[in-house]
Amino acid sequence: MTRTRKPGVSRRATLAMMGAGAVSFATPWVARAQAKTIKVGMPTILSGRVAQLGTSSRNGVMLEVEKVNAAGGLAGRQIEMVIRDSKGQPQEAARVARELVNTDGCEILIDAEASSGAFAVHEVARDLGVLCLHTNSETSALTADPKQHIPNAFRTARQGVHDSIVGGSYAATIAKAKGLKKWATCSPDYAYGRDTTGEYVTYLKRFAPDIEIISESWPKLFQPDYTEVVTKILQAKPQALYSCLWGGDLTSYIDQANIYALFSQMEVFAVNMADYTALTVVKNLPKGIHSGNRYIKTYPATPENAAWGDAYKAKYNEYPTNWSWENATAIMLLAEASKKANSADGKKIAEALRGLKIKSPFGADGTVTMRAEDQTLVGYAIGWGTTIPQEPYVPQVQAGDWKTIFELEAEWKKSKGYA
Amino acid sequence: MTELQAEQGAQALEVPREAKTRRNRDALIALAVFVVLALLPTVFSSKLLLDFVIRCAAYGLFATSLNLLVGYTGLISFGHGMFFGLGAYGFGLMMQKTGVPVPAAFVATLAITLVVALVIGAICVRLKEIYFAFVTLAFQMLIHSTILSWVSLTGGDQGLRGGIPRPPFLGIDLSNQLHLYVASCALLVIGLFLMHQIAQSPFGYTLRMIRDNATRASFIGIDVWRAKLTIFVLAALFASTGGIIMALFVSGAYPEFAYWTISGEGIFINMLGGVTTFLGPMVGTVLLLILNDTVTRLTDYHGLVLGIVILFFAIGLRKGLMDFVVEWYAQRRNGAGERG
Repeated sequence: MTRTRKPGVSRRATLAMMGAGAVSFATPWVARAQAKTIKVGMPTILSGRVAQLGTSSRNGVMLEVEKVNAAGGLAGRQIEMVIRDSKGQPQEAARVARELVNTDGCEILIDAEASSGAFAVHEVARDLGVLCLHTNSETSALTADPKQHIPNAFRTARQGVHDSIVGGSYAATIAKAKGLKKWATCSPDYAYGRDTTGEYVTYLKRFAPDIEIISESWPKLFQPDYTEVVTKILQAKPQALYSCLWGGDLTSYIDQANIYALFSQMEVFAVNMADYTALTVVKNLPKGIHSGNRYIKTYPATPENAAWGDAYKAKYNEYPTNWSWENATAIMLLAEASKKANSADGKKIAEALRGLKIKSPFGADGTVTMRAEDQTLVGYAIGWGTTIPQEPYVPQVQAGDWKTIFELEAEWKKSKGYA
Repeated sequence: MTELQAEQGAQALEVPREAKTRRNRDALIALAVFVVLALLPTVFSSKLLLDFVIRCAAYGLFATSLNLLVGYTGLISFGHGMFFGLGAYGFGLMMQKTGVPVPAAFVATLAITLVVALVIGAICVRLKEIYFAFVTLAFQMLIHSTILSWVSLTGGDQGLRGGIPRPPFLGIDLSNQLHLYVASCALLVIGLFLMHQIAQSPFGYTLRMIRDNATRASFIGIDVWRAKLTIFVLAALFASTGGIIMALFVSGAYPEFAYWTISGEGIFINMLGGVTTFLGPMVGTVLLLILNDTVTRLTDYHGLVLGIVILFFAIGLRKGLMDFVVEWYAQRRNGAGERG
């Protein structure tokens, strides 16, 4: 019997496949030619232990992008977000950032990476010259160090040194009033933990020179068991404890320290407590923990902030995080700068961003400013208060004074050789 | 002289000539591959492709050098990533702190790697199997911890910041992506060529013998310890070169480069590509990077997809892709021979 059909792929099938291939290759080009959208790339961490950083950053961004698009977009161009996971690896962050710009045609980058990833994306921005907004890295050096400075990169996040100045002065007041002389610290063992604690102690001693640090603990990042740390602190018998543990680490720490009734034996200052990621997860939130505000919808106590927090909760069924407001601010600033420049061009937006002051639910006085000299965010709400076990969790927040912050920040820059 | 001895003598003369022609052929292939790679950007203007090949060069050198240990010598190193990190940090620091020309920093980085690998290797290669694996892992974590804690030099877990300066030399400007691409291709091709020569040399066959039966090797007068140490150091040098390419690509160095996950990726690449063929790890590299890049584009659950792929190779094929292809090809040829 003769075979009528040869095995393998027929000519007709080959032609069909080639046709399909050509169409699928050509489609993006057609789409791009018609597109009036502006693509904004966003490398962030969407997997692993800190995936919440990525998801809540994404939520914060999308909430604002929808508003901007409804109002006509960036200079008439609708924003299209391209959000991609870097797995928290700096080399992946750099690769993804390059891919977003070079292949996906993104004209602006929102760098929602943490720590080292942000520095990797910063180098990509330096290399490609694309407008880049760092939204999550709070490492002061990213904008304070003149070696890092490039005209196309901005930061719309808090800055470590601001937190330390406000935290230090707040703690010193309490220390003087209550006579807290013996202090202990307990912070995660990596750059953020070490730097933040160091700066905090510096400013605490500056405002209250007679305090002394009698015990230091450096648990590993993501350590599951804190028994040893808790008992060490209890044995040292300090009058006050400072910690910059955050997220899941902070909540496990509190749950475990509660067993030893640690919180009734000393004043505790935990800078990252007043964030819903920690407040809503802790089993028995002790009363009276001093904390800096990260994001809380009752501070600033304005209708705008409360409305923003509620809108977020309504849309995503969870409260915003510190990362959410920082990322939302990036989009708010972009929209305003684009309006001012009447353009969606990265260079023109960058020009308009320098020194730009916008109305913001997260501002200490209802506004935030993109400081021109080092292209970082200032004027955001920053303050400390004490916790209660139920909503609103931190009823009274004492505002930090931005005038003092600016003075001490300038001094700090000089001491570091940055200014 | 007996007839047998004469024949052996003739063979001994024959072998180097054969080896020489093979070396020439390898060199020609390497040159051809390099020319093709170097001409790619003139055909495809995609910057993604250039980035991809640069990363392939970095990981490819790293994974192939790991295969010299795992596949050829039977030394399962869990700490090979330390040399990748060492290369990245050594080169980055040299360029940032001293401002020497790029080639000088390159050579100096390799020299540092050589010394470190000699010290670590001298301790590790005495051990066997699981003990070797774990002591290399321990050294890797030691280097990783050093990078993390020596903040004043390495920047701690923020990595080397501020970019790696790269003054142009001999008309090559590595801050230009195209130049970096061609340089990475050159390093990759030269590296693979050299490693292939090592694998095909009598020394390479000594390594295979050690892998299969170390006791026998030592009984016929081979200094097993020295041979293992030599290949440990050589592999470290190529891994370090991979690290240098990566440092140039991201314009920085990060502690993750020296973390055990990089070693793990190297092992995974070897599993994926196969350890019985020389090009297996290179194929594995291309495969893993394509998988990684496309899957991360499509879904946030890339871990799940990659895990399934590993399971498929480990349980389904029970070998790497190249092993599978080579066997399949051999079977097909045999089958055709029987029928014909």
